[in-house]
Amino acid sequence: MNGDARQDFALAFLSILFEGAPFILLGTLISGFIDIYLPKGAMDRFLPKNKTLSVMVAGLLGAVFPVCECAVVPVIRRLVGKGLPMSCALTYMLAAPIVNPITALSTWKAFQGQAPWMMVGGRLLLGYLVAVGVGLVVARIPLRKVLRKSLADKIEGEMEEEHIHSEDSGCCGHDHSHEHGHSHTEKDDSRLIAAMRSAQKDFVDVGVYFTIGVAITALFNTGIAPGAVWLDSLAGNVLAAPAALMALAFILSLCSTSDAFIAATLAKFTWSAKLAFLVLGPMLDVKLIFLYQTVMRRKFILALSASLFVVIWLVAVAWEMWIAKGVAP
Amino acid sequence: MGNVDREGGGAMKPELRRILFSLAVLLWAACILYFYGSGRIVKYLAPDFRPIALAGGLGLAVMGLFNLLTAFRKADCGHDHAHGEEHDHEGGDMNPLAALLLMTLPVACSMAWTKDGFSQSTLARKGLYEDVEAGNSPFLASALPPLTLEEIEKGHRKTSDGYLEFSLMELFFATGDRELQNLLGGLKVEAEGRIVEEKVNNDSGTRMRLYRMFMTCCVADSRAIPIILEFGKKPPMLPENGWVKVAGTMTFPEEEGTLRAVLVVDRATAAEVPQEEKFLRR
Repeated sequence: MNGDARQDFALAFLSILFEGAPFILLGTLISGFIDIYLPKGAMDRFLPKNKTLSVMVAGLLGAVFPVCECAVVPVIRRLVGKGLPMSCALTYMLAAPIVNPITALSTWKAFQGQAPWMMVGGRLLLGYLVAVGVGLVVARIPLRKVLRKSLADKIEGEMEEEHIHSEDSGCCGHDHSHEHGHSHTEKDDSRLIAAMRSAQKDFVDVGVYFTIGVAITALFNTGIAPGAVWLDSLAGNVLAAPAALMALAFILSLCSTSDAFIAATLAKFTWSAKLAFLVLGPMLDVKLIFLYQTVMRRKFILALSASLFVVIWLVAVAWEMWIAKGVAP
Repeated sequence: MGNVDREGGGAMKPELRRILFSLAVLLWAACILYFYGSGRIVKYLAPDFRPIALAGGLGLAVMGLFNLLTAFRKADCGHDHAHGEEHDHEGGDMNPLAALLLMTLPVACSMAWTKDGFSQSTLARKGLYEDVEAGNSPFLASALPPLTLEEIEKGHRKTSDGYLEFSLMELFFATGDRELQNLLGGLKVEAEGRIVEEKVNNDSGTRMRLYRMFMTCCVADSRAIPIILEFGKKPPMLPENGWVKVAGTMTFPEEEGTLRAVLVVDRATAAEVPQEEKFLRR
């Protein structure tokens, strides 16, 4: 890299890092405390027993626990470890950055004067449906084909342990060691330290992948405009425009709380292209590909990415033809 | 707790791993807090993200320091571990040294390399030399204050020599609005921005370009908001990319089939750097 390129990379890199790091910290603090304080199986209480219904409810949890896509990955790592079914965790992970009040409000605000209710409604509905669809499919896939080996080993190990202990499990929802009993007050400090260590470990795990993702994003961000003319030429094409903006969303790796402000500036593009940008971006982008690797197997990420791209593209095109057709761009 | 990192840390002791992780976290905290404390954060983030960054920096500092100071203390996670197997809440997938390097090296390099602004080539990629009309957008236009013939005088201060103070944003978006062009065309206005060389349609060398960046969340998503300056003669010597105040008559000529916002300059003087350099999302 020459001097100018280094300067540009550094500026874009630091700005995205400053923007994303607090949200990762929030997510990893939550995940660290979940790891230590949340009894195993506690999430089951929030979800219906029926698999399909539980996936559908998981898709709405973002309305109660709003998190952006950076923060949600460490949270679901811990939730999966705590016994939340992978199908529900994945549904929550994909839906929460979109189906939450902050994203809805920012989308509505950004699209003032550009059919804001249609864009907000379309984004929330499509985001929810895609996430639930993925969750229902994942419910039928063996855990080991989805999760990283280390995480799958841990969950299966704990499931075996739970089975062994099922007859004498603890009264407060989680097991107690053979050496110690129930003196919760004496353990408070100790557990706080354990929670902070767990949070820090999660932060470093996610931080490494986030750094790599941000670095790649910064490289694209500062050199992406040569494709702008080509992008503009696709803006009015019903089939190509959504694909082009999905590719842009993937490269730009914007936060779901703010991406609508970018989408709204892409005035030449079709409604479906903007919708595809707003739905795919929070589910799949360069930095998320790296973050997902802290939870999922690479083969599964590849299959998930391809599926998301194709499904969102198809729905966006259909949406343009049937719903947005009569609305002036 | 395990005595060694069994997954990715080789034979590294957990205490050492905690210290390395704490150092990585503290470097991020120091970086964010330094940029915030020095005021340089304004070049990177929009105002609503700055307190979030500060909270994040402080939070990271607390987490890093806490874990550093308690690195040698024993901790009990409060629940049981499998028979004979230690259940480690800290074991990672990556070697702690590699993690430390991956987290800190790009940050350290970026801190050394950054000049708090984009180079000319990246500014060009971010719309500095795009046709003004091509950058029009209903969203950005909606961010402007309402502008009618009656309100022009009321809504804009007049300089002592009779020019109405306009933001570049208003002049930029006038090219996409015939009504605004009619209102602003021929008007004597003053605008503030950075001045750079004009590279489009400037064979006579009498033109420069005035721009400011528009930022939604962080500088990575910013784009240039430019207008053309026509001096009618060789432009005066002003610092490249420096801040200037330019006054003149606003025109909207059609050049090569495109409407352009061109300010025919009466005077151009170097100006103080404004407190908020970028246009911001409202």
